[in-house]
Amino acid sequence: MKKRVVITGVGLVSCLGTSSALFHRQLCEATDSAGRTEEHDPQAARTPLPGRISCFEPELYLKGRSLRQIDRTGQLLASAARMALENSGWTAEALTRNDVGLVLGTMFGSMHTISEFDRRCLVDGPACVSPMNFANTVINSAASQTAIWHNLRGMNSTTSTGATSGLVAIGYAADLIRCGWQTAVLAGGADEFCFEASYGLERAGLSCKAGPEEECFTPFDSQRSGIRLAEAGALLVLEDGDSALHRGATVLGEIRGHANAYDPKWNRPGHGAGGIIRTMGGALKDARLSPREIDCISAGANGSVAGDRNEGLAIKTVFNGCSAKVPITAIKSGIGETLGAAGALQAIDLLETMCSGRLPGIAGLDQVDAELVDLNLCFEPTCVDVNSGLISSVGFDGHACSLIISKPEAQG
Amino acid sequence: MTNSSAVAVTGLGVVTSIGTGRQKFWDAVLDGRCGFGPVKSFDTGDYRVHVGAEISDFCADDYVLELQSASIGRTSQLAIAASRLALQDGFLDLSSVDRSRVGVYVGTTSGEPHCIERFDERYVQGRMDEVGAEFLNGYPCHVVPFHIAHELDLAGEAMMIPTACAAGNYAIAHACDLLGHGKADYMLAGGADSFSRITYTGFARLGAIAPELCQPFDRNRKGMIPGEGAAILLLEPTTQAVARGARIYCEIAGYGLSCDAHHMTAAHPAGEGAARAIRLALQRSGLEASDVDYISAHGTGTLTNDRLETIAVKKALGSHAYNVPISSVKSMLGHTMGAASAIEAAVCALAIAYGRIPPTMHWRDRDSECDLDYVANTARNHEVRVAMNNAYAFGGNNSSLILTTCACSAA
Repeated sequence: MKKRVVITGVGLVSCLGTSSALFHRQLCEATDSAGRTEEHDPQAARTPLPGRISCFEPELYLKGRSLRQIDRTGQLLASAARMALENSGWTAEALTRNDVGLVLGTMFGSMHTISEFDRRCLVDGPACVSPMNFANTVINSAASQTAIWHNLRGMNSTTSTGATSGLVAIGYAADLIRCGWQTAVLAGGADEFCFEASYGLERAGLSCKAGPEEECFTPFDSQRSGIRLAEAGALLVLEDGDSALHRGATVLGEIRGHANAYDPKWNRPGHGAGGIIRTMGGALKDARLSPREIDCISAGANGSVAGDRNEGLAIKTVFNGCSAKVPITAIKSGIGETLGAAGALQAIDLLETMCSGRLPGIAGLDQVDAELVDLNLCFEPTCVDVNSGLISSVGFDGHACSLIISKPEAQG
Repeated sequence: MTNSSAVAVTGLGVVTSIGTGRQKFWDAVLDGRCGFGPVKSFDTGDYRVHVGAEISDFCADDYVLELQSASIGRTSQLAIAASRLALQDGFLDLSSVDRSRVGVYVGTTSGEPHCIERFDERYVQGRMDEVGAEFLNGYPCHVVPFHIAHELDLAGEAMMIPTACAAGNYAIAHACDLLGHGKADYMLAGGADSFSRITYTGFARLGAIAPELCQPFDRNRKGMIPGEGAAILLLEPTTQAVARGARIYCEIAGYGLSCDAHHMTAAHPAGEGAARAIRLALQRSGLEASDVDYISAHGTGTLTNDRLETIAVKKALGSHAYNVPISSVKSMLGHTMGAASAIEAAVCALAIAYGRIPPTMHWRDRDSECDLDYVANTARNHEVRVAMNNAYAFGGNNSSLILTTCACSAA
C-alpha cells in the first residue's frame, strides 16, 4: 500500500518576509478594501515591489561558517531549510539519526555563479578563477550546500523544468515517500534575482513593460504585459504519515496527488492549454478527487499574456460546470515570479489559507481578461473553508504541473 | 513470474567520442579504443593541460529532423541523437503508442554551457545588444528534455535532473519510479553533456585533469579527462516489454542514492555515503553483496576518487569486493559528466546481455590502496547477472544503480 505524504513544516525567504503567517496576511491585506482591523500593521500592508530581497540577512539563519562559500541561491535555500526544519521539529540531533532528503526545484540554479566564473576566466585567464567557485557552478550546488549546512544525508536531488520546477520538486519528493524510499524530504525551490536571468527574460520578451504607468504584471488582468522577476527560497517538509505521527509532528496538510507534463504543441495557435488541462486532470485522478471536491485554486498566473490565458482556459475546461464557483487566487502580483520557489510559496500560502479560512485576492486585479470573465477570480480576500486546494504552475515553454493538498482532517 | 513494477531496458542510444550507436560503441569499448585528443572547441593556450575527449564526427542534422539544429544547443543535439538511437534500437514505433504516456528524464552537469559562454563573451566584449531571445530559450538546462520531447512529439513528463556527474543515474532511477507508479508507458532516460570551456577550466584549476591519459585505479594515475556525450535508455514495464515481444537487455532492479553532507568537492574520507548508496541499492533490489557480478565504476582516474571508491566498494561488499570485476570506461571516453553514468548504465546492460566486460585501459601499476580486480587493459568474457553502476558527484551525491538479467528475456 502506498504511504500517505504529509506536510509537517515550512520555511521561506521572500520579499514578503520569512514568516508564513505574515506572508499570507500581507497577501490578504494587499487586496483587502474593507476597514483595517486594529492589529493591522501598516508596514506589512504596503507590499514592496517584488524583485531582489533587500532585507535578506542569511547570517541570521546560517551560523558558524563563512557564507562566502555559498552563493545567493544556496543562501536562500539553506535559510529556508533552517526555518523549515525548525518549524517541523527536526533537531540537529535527530538529523544525525535519520537520513533526511532534499529535492530542489530551480530554473537557473547557479547561473550567476557560472557566469561570473566564466567572465573572470575570460578577463583574467584560467589561472585566476577560484576552484571553490567552480564547485558552486554545478546547477545543483544549492541543494548540496544546503545538505552540507544542515547534515541532510538522505537522497539529494534537483529538478529543473523551468518556472514549474518548485512544484515539480514537491511532487518528486512526495513520490519518494510514497514508494517508501525516504521517510522525510525537504522539497521546494530557490532562484536568486540576478542580472543574467533578468536580462535574459527581458530579451526573450517575457518581462512586463517598464514604467510606472505601463508596468502591469497582475495575473489575469487585461492590461498585463509580462512577468516581474523576483527571488525567493521556499521549502516544505514532507514526511511519511506514520513516521510523522510517530514522532509527534504537527501535520499541516497532506499531498494528495500531482501530475506534470510537457506539451510539444504548446506554441501552436489554440494549443497552449492542452498540457495544463492534462496536468490538472492528472492531479485530480492521482488524488482520486473530482473537480467539485476542490475548494480553491492557487494559479501560477504571473502576468504572462499567453500563459495566464491558457491557465484560465484550462481551469474552465477541467472545472467545467463548477469553474464559476471555485475561488481562484494568484499570488505573483504580490511576490513576483520567483521561478523555482514559486510552487512552494503557493503551497505555503494554501496551507495558511486552510488554517485561516481566508484566501488572498489577486493584488492589483482591475479589469479581467475578456476571455476569463466567467472564472471566480478573487479581487479581495475570500472566506472559504478549504478541505482540498489545487496548485497550478505553468512554465514559459510548454511545461505545466498541478498538485493537490488537503487538510489533514479531510482524511477519514 | 514477473514483478508488476519491474522495469526493463529495451533500447540503448549512445553518442560518444569512440562510437555512436549501440553496436559501434560496444565494439569500441571492448576493443579499448580511446577518444582523447587535443581540445578543438576552444583555445587551451593559457592552460597547462590540452587534452579532452570531444566527439569529432557528430552531425546534428542526421538526427535533428523536426527542430532547426542550429537553433538548439549541442547538448540537446547529442541528447536527441541518443533518443532517436534508443527508439530505433528498441524497435519502438512512436506512431503506435500514446505519446502522452511517453516521458523524458535527462541528467546533466552543465546543460547548454555554450549558451552562457557566448553570453559571457558578449558581456566582456561590450556586445550585449546582440543577446536575443535565443539565450533564454536555449540556456536553462530544462530545455534539453523539452527539445527531445518537442523533436519526437512526446507529451508525457519531461524533466531535467541536473545532479552533476551522477545525473544519469538519478534520471534513470526517477524514471523507474514513474513507471512503477503506472504514470508512463515508456521513458527515455539518461544523460547528456557537451564539451564545455567552463567545466574544463574548473577541473583544470582543481588540478584534476590528466595531461595525456586517463588511468583509473593505476598507481600513477594523474586525473580525469573531460569529455562529452549522451546516452538514453528506453525503459518500460517488463510485462509490457514481454507482451510486445521487445528485446530485453536487462531489468533495473533498484537504486540507492545518498548524500555525504560533508564537502562540496571532497568525498567523505571513509567512503561512508558511497557505501550507504551501494547498500541501499542492494537492499531495495532484494540482493546480497555476494550476488554482484560486475561493477561499472565511477573511476574518474583522480587520486582521491579511485581510492575512496575502492574503500566504499570494500566497505559495502566485504570480502566479495575482491571477487568482483570492476572497470571504468572513463579510461576510454574520458569523463562525460552528466552523461557518464547513463553511458555506464548502457555498459552494464550490454555486459549483462552479451556476457562481456569492458576493460579499464592504461592500467599499468598496482596501487596498494586500489587492490581490486579492475579488468586491466583487455575485455573479458564473464557471465553478468547482476551489475552495479556507481556514480558520484560534487556535493557528495552518491548513486548506485543495480541492473539484472530478466528472467523473461531468456524465453
